[in-house]
Amino acid sequence: MDPTHPATDMSNGSSLTEAQAENERLRARVASLEAELVETQARTDAVVGQWQERAYWLDRWHLDLNALMRRPGASELREVLKALRAVAWRIKRVKRRLMSS
Amino acid sequence: MKSVSAVIPVKNGERYLQELLAALRREGVDEILVIDSGSRDRSLEIARAAGVELLEIEPGEFGHGPTRNLGAERTIGELICFLTQDATPCPGWLDAYREAFALDEHVGAAYGPHLPRADTSPMIARELTEFFAGFEVDRASGNGTAGHLLHIPALQRPGDSTFLSNVNACYARDCWEEIRFRDVDYSEDQAFGSDLLDAGWVKVYHPGAAVLHAHDYGAIEFMRRYFDEYRGLRETTGHVEPFGLLAAARDVRAAVAGDRRWVAEQGLSGLELARVSARATLHHGGRRVFSALGSRAAQIPGPVSSLLSLEGRSGSAIAAPATDSPPQASPLAPPKHLPQLLPHDDYSVVTDVWREGATPLLEPVPGMAERERLRLAMVIPPFARGSGGHNTLFQIFSRLERRGHSCSVWLADYHNQLREVWPAVLRHDINEFFASFQGPVYKGFDQWQGADVVMATGWQTVHAALRLDQCRARAYVVNDHEPEFFATSTERVLAEDTYRHDLHCIAASPWLRDLLIERYGASADAFQLGVEQEIYQPRPVERRTDTVVYYARHSTARRAVPIGLLALTELHRKRPDLRIVLFGSPDIMYAAFPYESMGLLSPTQLSWLYSEATVGLCLSLTNFSLMPKEMLACGLPCVELAGVSAESIFGEDGPLELASLDPRAIADALELLLDDPERWERRSREGIEFVASHTWEHATDEVEAGLRHALREREASLTPSA
Repeated sequence: MDPTHPATDMSNGSSLTEAQAENERLRARVASLEAELVETQARTDAVVGQWQERAYWLDRWHLDLNALMRRPGASELREVLKALRAVAWRIKRVKRRLMSS
Repeated sequence: MKSVSAVIPVKNGERYLQELLAALRREGVDEILVIDSGSRDRSLEIARAAGVELLEIEPGEFGHGPTRNLGAERTIGELICFLTQDATPCPGWLDAYREAFALDEHVGAAYGPHLPRADTSPMIARELTEFFAGFEVDRASGNGTAGHLLHIPALQRPGDSTFLSNVNACYARDCWEEIRFRDVDYSEDQAFGSDLLDAGWVKVYHPGAAVLHAHDYGAIEFMRRYFDEYRGLRETTGHVEPFGLLAAARDVRAAVAGDRRWVAEQGLSGLELARVSARATLHHGGRRVFSALGSRAAQIPGPVSSLLSLEGRSGSAIAAPATDSPPQASPLAPPKHLPQLLPHDDYSVVTDVWREGATPLLEPVPGMAERERLRLAMVIPPFARGSGGHNTLFQIFSRLERRGHSCSVWLADYHNQLREVWPAVLRHDINEFFASFQGPVYKGFDQWQGADVVMATGWQTVHAALRLDQCRARAYVVNDHEPEFFATSTERVLAEDTYRHDLHCIAASPWLRDLLIERYGASADAFQLGVEQEIYQPRPVERRTDTVVYYARHSTARRAVPIGLLALTELHRKRPDLRIVLFGSPDIMYAAFPYESMGLLSPTQLSWLYSEATVGLCLSLTNFSLMPKEMLACGLPCVELAGVSAESIFGEDGPLELASLDPRAIADALELLLDDPERWERRSREGIEFVASHTWEHATDEVEAGLRHALREREASLTPSA
């Protein structure tokens, strides 16, 4: 190919423009993905930060809920407590209904 | 479901081998390997008939650790069970092991109880039963009565018993590959149990993983076995069995009484009970003597030792090597053999950096330095209330967070100083001690997620930051020239090393920036410490004309407190009526002048003190303290050291009165401000004006610019120079 030939020049110029456009498009895509990553990270940080805020007393007293729940019988105990809570709520509801009627 | 291999070292084990192999088949073990080390009975024939893999080795090649390592190497199961030739698994044995390994992903080994066979002597039967019941007591809600045990698996973590027995044990292949059995003459399983916990694995005692097992030796054989066992313990753990006649007699009597009680519970009485008593006395007495002898085997002549040993082995692995010259009493006390006490050295991350270098950074992305929001991760050293360096860091980091950057904090704690403080508490303390921070706080780097810029913040954090991956750039917020905090020491060397790893430094003064560039060739920017203007301002209180306040924080060596006290002594000599107030330390300072001690004060209290005093004094032998700026913000002129870092902030004739490192010069400078109202007035006015622009917002601007500079340097590495 003769680089001085006008046809070759035109073809080069056109492919250069295409490459530049493709570059711009890819850069914009990278920027958008980066922004998405920061956003996701920020949301994750906020969630973990909020959870740590709530877990202060657990950490203060060295209570690892995951470890506690791995202990034999823990799930069963939780189910029992949930059942008791449901009963307590029901009693409250009935009481409230009786009081209001 | 994990595949399981069983490895059984055998030598003349025909008595129980067939029963054992049948039990393994019944339990569903995937692969069985018998390693025979010179059996002369029917062991080989039994193994062949059972169709298991058979590996024959020379008797001289046998070693408790090496042979088991060989067995593990020759098998492929994800779980490797080791049994002795006289241990027969009970029904449910393998299910129990599978359950044990499902309890926690870090379970490295599990073991089960050894149940006595029908013909086991009462002493051994009781000992086995009570010994293994001991592992269950903690799980039995404090009820240690054997009849009330819960029979549930017990996880054992560092600090729990290190007991592990290859009579009946099962190992995760990953764990075995990491630790492997030591080449010791005895107790390779105990050593493994200890190493395993030190390496961060956990183990499980599962009462369901039981085997029938008993060493049915005669009385003399038992004694010789104890000799071997305690010699092995001495060699692996350094344990020396104590021995005293009275104590031994007491122990034997108690043990025999225990045996009698146990046998009586089994329904024996009369002549049988008397026979058991006699046998138990011989057994326990012999045990006391032979265990004491075994742990002192190194001092026993070889032939005697060989006679006392059931294995026929003379001497001890810790005995001194034989020489041609006649043996002499060594002046050395027997060494104390300690197991590995730490999972790794405190500074092991430094070795990692020196050996392997920094973890490569991510490829730079064009334009990343200019993005509005960055992912920032700050690595901090341990802290306590009142830490000035951490206050600076969090004043800035909390503002970076408020500007929309995604910010997280990571604690690098080489010495485990904050071992007992969990992450949520750390985060709470940061908010209480320093500044409001909403993001997450992590201890260590197990949950590391990468960052645009990871910020090291103290010499103790740099090597850890260098090993973090998924980072675009690394920066180093340098509060002070920390090598000067230490005498010639490891810490000094490591602190100096931190400036030589091409981290972009953001220094807390132009003086410090220049030092880092000139002495270490670092790339560096500077930022100015800010002042909390809403707190440090002139308070509505009458200014006294006779009061010098001195930041006498004796525990911080770079504050040159002895020099300051000498200067105040000099001043007091000239002006005995002067009121001197010391603050910054809870301790009583032994001074050669009377003074008022204010101890530790809150920022608000300090602002009132500065507003009432006449002259302040604060000395800095390295980078300047924030204290003079806060004094100036309250309209209090103050004296600092000349020729260190202050000029780079305040100029040579700025609002600070500078004095050389000489008590008389410092006293003169203080006196000048006390005596010259015009000078005092000028310094006070200029101080307030000077500090007005030194805000934390401005400091945050400068640090943010430094972080973006670090990213730009990375981008620049993309562009080939013209």
